[in-house]
Amino acid sequence: MHDGSGLIAVQNLTKQFGPVTAVQNLSFTVSPGSVTGFLGPNGAGKTTTLRMLLGLVKPTGGTATINGRPFHQLGQPGRVVGAVLEAQGFHPARSARNHLRVYAAAIGVPDAQADQVMGLVGLGSAADRKVGGFSLGMKQRLALATALLGDPQVLVLDEPANGLDPEGIAWLRTFLQSYARMGRTVLISSHLLAEVEQTVDQVVIISRGQTMFYGPLDQLRQSQQRRVLVQPSDINALANALRTAGVQVIEQLPDGRLAVSGVDSRQVADIALQAGVSVYGIQEETVDLERLFFQLTSGQYAGYAPAQQNPYQQQGGWA
Amino acid sequence: MGNLVGAELRKTTTTGLWWGLLIPTAVLALGWGLATGLLGQFFVDFASSGDVDEVSDFLGVTPDQWKVSLFGMARAINISTIFPMVFGAMAISSEISRRTITTTFLTAPSRMHALLAKMLVYVLWGAIYGLAIMAFVSIGVVITSDAGQLPDAGGWAMLTLVCVLSSILMTMLGVGVGALIPNVAGAVVLLLLYFLVIENVLHGVLAYLEVPAVIGFLPNGSINGLTGAVAVDLFLSSAGVVPTEIEDVLRAIAGAAGAQDWWLSGIVFLAWAGVVFAGGWAVTQSKDIT
Ligand SMILES: Nc1ncnc2c1ncn2[C@@H]1O[C@H](COP(=O)(O)OP(=O)(O)O)[C@@H](O)[C@H]1O
Ligand SMILES: [Mg+2]
Repeated sequence: MHDGSGLIAVQNLTKQFGPVTAVQNLSFTVSPGSVTGFLGPNGAGKTTTLRMLLGLVKPTGGTATINGRPFHQLGQPGRVVGAVLEAQGFHPARSARNHLRVYAAAIGVPDAQADQVMGLVGLGSAADRKVGGFSLGMKQRLALATALLGDPQVLVLDEPANGLDPEGIAWLRTFLQSYARMGRTVLISSHLLAEVEQTVDQVVIISRGQTMFYGPLDQLRQSQQRRVLVQPSDINALANALRTAGVQVIEQLPDGRLAVSGVDSRQVADIALQAGVSVYGIQEETVDLERLFFQLTSGQYAGYAPAQQNPYQQQGGWA
Repeated sequence: MGNLVGAELRKTTTTGLWWGLLIPTAVLALGWGLATGLLGQFFVDFASSGDVDEVSDFLGVTPDQWKVSLFGMARAINISTIFPMVFGAMAISSEISRRTITTTFLTAPSRMHALLAKMLVYVLWGAIYGLAIMAFVSIGVVITSDAGQLPDAGGWAMLTLVCVLSSILMTMLGVGVGALIPNVAGAVVLLLLYFLVIENVLHGVLAYLEVPAVIGFLPNGSINGLTGAVAVDLFLSSAGVVPTEIEDVLRAIAGAAGAQDWWLSGIVFLAWAGVVFAGGWAVTQSKDIT
């Protein structure tokens, strides 16, 4: 049987669909107690990876385990791992309550559990309606309710925010965080970092089936580069003074400003004062996480952004 | 396993498909039952008219005592069990089409557990359909037949047994085909084409080639044999000594040309259902659910 650790381990996972390499030599682990974001652009291989983890797709190579075991060795999988894979797996003529009762029976939990999870996801009032009439957001909620039926230790969600209203997304965020705080494991995929930025503690970023970054979100934040945009009275004088002060990365922008990296705005202002250069405007700019994410994963399908919108390229230090 | 059987049973009772297919089944069975009695009456009247006395001499009883309803009942069962077969065919194919198979596999210890639980539940449904078919065929026959043409108590029991068996077996074959061809329309159309057209053509060809015994080993031939052989046996048991040629004609009338004994026919068909299910299981086992 499984070890009850709540650990997800993906090792050298590879999946080939004919000529298409969906996932290539992917490795990462997910620990209990935190929400881990599984990020990558469309077609990066997120869904394929999660389906391999859940025993729905057979890997071409490598292993994916939950609690130290491949999915089909979990015994009663519904009590170990709950999954939201798509908001489609419903019979349109079955009511929400009956849908949940079917799977409550399969997992071996009492019918009362069906009503409980429906209340939890806010579907209580729609319990006896046929799922065929549900909105996408309601189906997402029902999918989450299904995943929660067996009170699982591990929760895996593939783009659960799709179709959810802002209220639903906020609710999901709080819910997942409190679920993780109970010592459970939560893995949630998204193609938008911003969507999960406030929810996740850890991130696994993949692109073209390969891991690009894997670690705490804070570490990713700290690696962001800041730069100071300054409009001096004399560009050359300030640039020389900055170089003398040991600042290496100075760039002149098309609008006549200088972009200075590696120092904060106060230092730049002080150096300008000493050099007798007036400062007409000064501003600190941070590269936001989303742009960092874009840079980490760019090049698969998205064209490169035009130069003005993406004024400087940064090399991510990960491979 | 008990949990999964419970879940599969709930799946079948929480949509309207079971009664949506049961209604036409009942109507068809009743219609055939009624027609059987009328046709039998017509035949007996004709045979009693005097020109065909020789036949009644063969059979050793007067035509009004021939249990001709047996043949119509066998055929009514054969045609009506198409519906439980279609019901079975949708068991797995509709789950794959509707993508509910994902959750089904996520909540089962293994795919094999899930498929076996489904098969057990559909065996139960096959039996329910079988009982319904027998009930409606019987009502029809009793309304339109003279008492002399109806089977005795043992005959009714035997026919009920093979009707339920036949319905279960047809359902099982349907489940297997639905697993093999994970497309609802594809599985249903193939089954209907095969049972209503393809194999009938094959039967003609085999009869023409003078190897009718092969028919009894084909799927439709063997399932017809299960009911047809019982009908012929029951008919003959109430008649005298019958020459082989006449017996062959009777088998053809019962829709069981070239058939083996009823139990052997059942085993042959069970083997077909088993082979198809094993194929469907192999396909489902290795399938990527994406
Ligand atoms: N069943 C399949 N057959 C062929 N190619 C597939 C299949 N499923 C996914 N792919 C391909 O694998 C790649 C990864 O897809 P997917 O895992 O769905 O990415 P994501 O979920 O990150 O958007 C894509 O190029 C996709 O076209
Ligand atoms: Mg996806």
